[in-house]
Amino acid sequence: MTQQSTSLAAGAALPTVTKAITQETIDAYALAGGDSNPLHTDPAFAANTQFGGTIAHGMLLLAYVSEMLTAAFGEDWLTGGRLKVRFRAPARPGDALTCAGTVTSVEDGKTLCAIECRNESGEVLVSGEAEVSRSSI
Amino acid sequence: MTTLAALEKGHEFPPASFDLSEQWVEAYVASVEDKAIAALGGGFVPPMAVAALAIRALLEHASLPPGTLHAGQELAFTAPVRRGETLTVAARIASRGERAGWVLMGVELRVTRDGAVVMTGRATLSFPVAAGAAV
Repeated sequence: MTQQSTSLAAGAALPTVTKAITQETIDAYALAGGDSNPLHTDPAFAANTQFGGTIAHGMLLLAYVSEMLTAAFGEDWLTGGRLKVRFRAPARPGDALTCAGTVTSVEDGKTLCAIECRNESGEVLVSGEAEVSRSSI
Repeated sequence: MTTLAALEKGHEFPPASFDLSEQWVEAYVASVEDKAIAALGGGFVPPMAVAALAIRALLEHASLPPGTLHAGQELAFTAPVRRGETLTVAARIASRGERAGWVLMGVELRVTRDGAVVMTGRATLSFPVAAGAAV
C-alpha cells in the first residue's frame, strides 16, 4: 500500500530509495532508454573526457527519484506531480546512491518536498523540489 | 543527422509518436529497478519512462553534440500513462545562450495522448561552444 499525499505532514521524511550504480546498470538503462552516448557506455571514450570515466545518465537518477515519489504519493505522483532538479555532480559506477526527501509544506492540496540524491560520500548529485497535487479522481 | 548545436532558439521539432509497449516498459522498469510502480498496480508506466522515450524520439531528429551535459530538468505530469499506449511528443528550443565557452540550451517538451497533455517538461542542456562550431 502506498502512502498518499494527504498523510504526509510538513517535516515528514519520504521513504528513501537506495541504489548501487554499476556499469551493468548504466548499460541496461542505455539499452532501454535508447541513449548510448559513449560518455555513459564506453569506458575508453569516457576516460578521455572531463569525467575521467563513465557516468550514469541523469534520467536514470531521476528514475530513482520518481520511484521514491511513487512510493510516497502513489497515483497522485502520476497525475499531478511536478519536479524541478539540477544535476550537480555525476554518478559513477561503484557509487551507492541514496535518494531522500522531506515535505516542506502542505497547502491547498499541494505537497511540496525538497529532494536530493547523494552518493556514499555524502556528495549531492541531484537536488531540487517536487510538488504533488492531490488527485481529484 | 544534425545536432542540437546547429539549432537556434525557436526551432520546433516535428511531432513524433512513440509506443509504450509492454515489452519496452518491462525492460525499462527492470533497468531502473523500480519496485514502487509495480506495487502500485494498474498497468501504470513510470513517468520517467515517458520522459525518457519522449527524449529518445526527439534525438531521432537531432543528436546530442559531443560533450553534452544534462544540467537540469523540469517535468510535470498531468495524467497517468498505461502500458500499451501511444503518445506524441512535440518540442522546441525555448532558449539558447552562451556562458564561459558553453552553450546553455533549454528544450521544452510536450507529450500528448489523443491531443490531451500528459506531460510537459524542460531539459537544460550544456555543451561546449566548439561543438557548435564543428557542425
